[in-house]
Amino acid sequence: MKLIECKNISKNFGDGHKEIEALKETNFSVEAGEFVAIIGPSGSGKSTLLTIIGGLQTPSKGKVLIKDNPFSEEEEKKRAALRFKEIGFILQASNLVPFLNVRDQLRLVNKVEKTKMEQEQTDGLLEELDVLRLEKNYPSDLSGGERQRVAIARALYHDPSVILADEPTASLDSERAFEVVDILARETKSKQKATIMVTHDERLIDKCDKVYVMKDGVLSLRENA
Amino acid sequence: MFLAWKEIKYSKTRFALIIGVMILVSYLVYFLTGLAYGLAQDNRTSVDKWEADGIVLTDESNSNINMSMITLGQAEEVSGDETALLGQTAGVIRKEGTSGESAKINVTFFGIEPDEFIMPEVIEGKPFTNNDEAVADISLKEEEGIEIGDIVQLAGSDKQLTVTGFTENAKFNVAPVLYTTIGSFQEIRFEKIDDSDDGRISAVIVRDNSEDLAGIEIANNDLIPYKIGDYIYKIPGYSAQVLTFGLMIGFLVVIAAVVIGIFIYVLTLQKSSLFGVMKAQGISSGYIAKSVIAQTFILSTVGVGTGLLLTLGTSLALPATVPYQNNGLFLGGITLLLIIVAVLGALFSVRTVVKIDPLEAIG
Repeated sequence: MKLIECKNISKNFGDGHKEIEALKETNFSVEAGEFVAIIGPSGSGKSTLLTIIGGLQTPSKGKVLIKDNPFSEEEEKKRAALRFKEIGFILQASNLVPFLNVRDQLRLVNKVEKTKMEQEQTDGLLEELDVLRLEKNYPSDLSGGERQRVAIARALYHDPSVILADEPTASLDSERAFEVVDILARETKSKQKATIMVTHDERLIDKCDKVYVMKDGVLSLRENA
Repeated sequence: MFLAWKEIKYSKTRFALIIGVMILVSYLVYFLTGLAYGLAQDNRTSVDKWEADGIVLTDESNSNINMSMITLGQAEEVSGDETALLGQTAGVIRKEGTSGESAKINVTFFGIEPDEFIMPEVIEGKPFTNNDEAVADISLKEEEGIEIGDIVQLAGSDKQLTVTGFTENAKFNVAPVLYTTIGSFQEIRFEKIDDSDDGRISAVIVRDNSEDLAGIEIANNDLIPYKIGDYIYKIPGYSAQVLTFGLMIGFLVVIAAVVIGIFIYVLTLQKSSLFGVMKAQGISSGYIAKSVIAQTFILSTVGVGTGLLLTLGTSLALPATVPYQNNGLFLGGITLLLIIVAVLGALFSVRTVVKIDPLEAIG
């Protein structure tokens, strides 16, 4: 099942008299349980693609479907609601709220949704990512690796169908980086998510099912991966 | 509420400082209001005590009771539901047996008929019975140490009065009032008693339930009835004081509002990248805005509430000479106003929250 589908999307940035084509026409999809990496030098347009898929900006042409919903064509408010429900973001720096402890990071999701999750379920998720023992700690007390694991828990917590990770290992040493990628791969398989990881570190792509290379706004599949 | 409260608990020092500023600002506003109100009251409590509707003065007096002179014969020509004669003059007294500059006390004399309605309620001692006795405002006891039975000496004359009792809330033009007979008043003001039709007093006080003093009939064109409210406003110095303090307090509230508003705005700006990340995750601007407003509400309520408690505490500890007085309506009004104004400041910040672009926060 295709969870993410990009149909003929492109993105142009105009600065008055000159149009810059940041993303050339792209067709691209990710299945459930598929872990996809996009690599490429900085400025190549890979973050642009990721933020378009995440609905933070709209494509100049074409459309993005998330679970067959025309996501990119919804209006801003509806997109935010869908983003909250269907997409888990993991960012390069910590996307955790500095004044909430690990458990409260997850409780925030409940507060916004006005739902309640069973304690066991929360504990189970925290345990899976090996951060249950840190539940009372604040982000500033955690190491980079621990912080990213909490961020992954936060992204998985409300059970989205899509995980978007933007340089999730940028601030980590290689051992921690491999660990985080392992977790992402494992969760993608076991929970049947569609995961896209943007990175510039080629050593991390061993665990990925497909690797795309972005260069000057053109996305191409790397066949030998 | 969740985010708002968790953040306050996490950054205790920062929020303690903000609350501290709110406490000080609200304390200042409350305290100045209490002082202004107390001072204004000191001009008028003796007048409010009459519970009257109108005061009849001479046309020539320009509603200044010091300049109004009515003969007892003219006073007969004033009719209303209830009338009372009043002789008023300022004076200086000293307790018998004391001397020196500091023993002089500024007072106001009210010459009245003891059986008419403006006779004050005596809370200590007895009413006066003759031209050599007086009932004094309790502040003369609290601030000057005058006791029942003490004799006070009038400056510049041989006249002496024995204090027979005390009443409360009796100040006129910021001076304590000594109530005595009309005869005694004439002695103080004109140096002789005159109870004939030519004998002079200052005013006739009228109780009248009809609208616009329509029930007061005066068979004399030289006499004019004034509504008590209008009259109080024209007590020399009163309107100047009320206007000055009113403007000061008004500006203070506006400045306090701006200061609190700026604080909340800066707090919001500091967190704009965090809010951007939250918005990227799909948390709505509405939820973030609500938590900003909830936080402001918590901060301002705690700050203003503490300021109020401090004010009430201070008012208990103040010496009697400070003309400070609490007024529930003013305290309540200022409390509401400061909180509303703080929340308005927060609403201003909400615009910033709505405008934050999650893309910039991430990129």
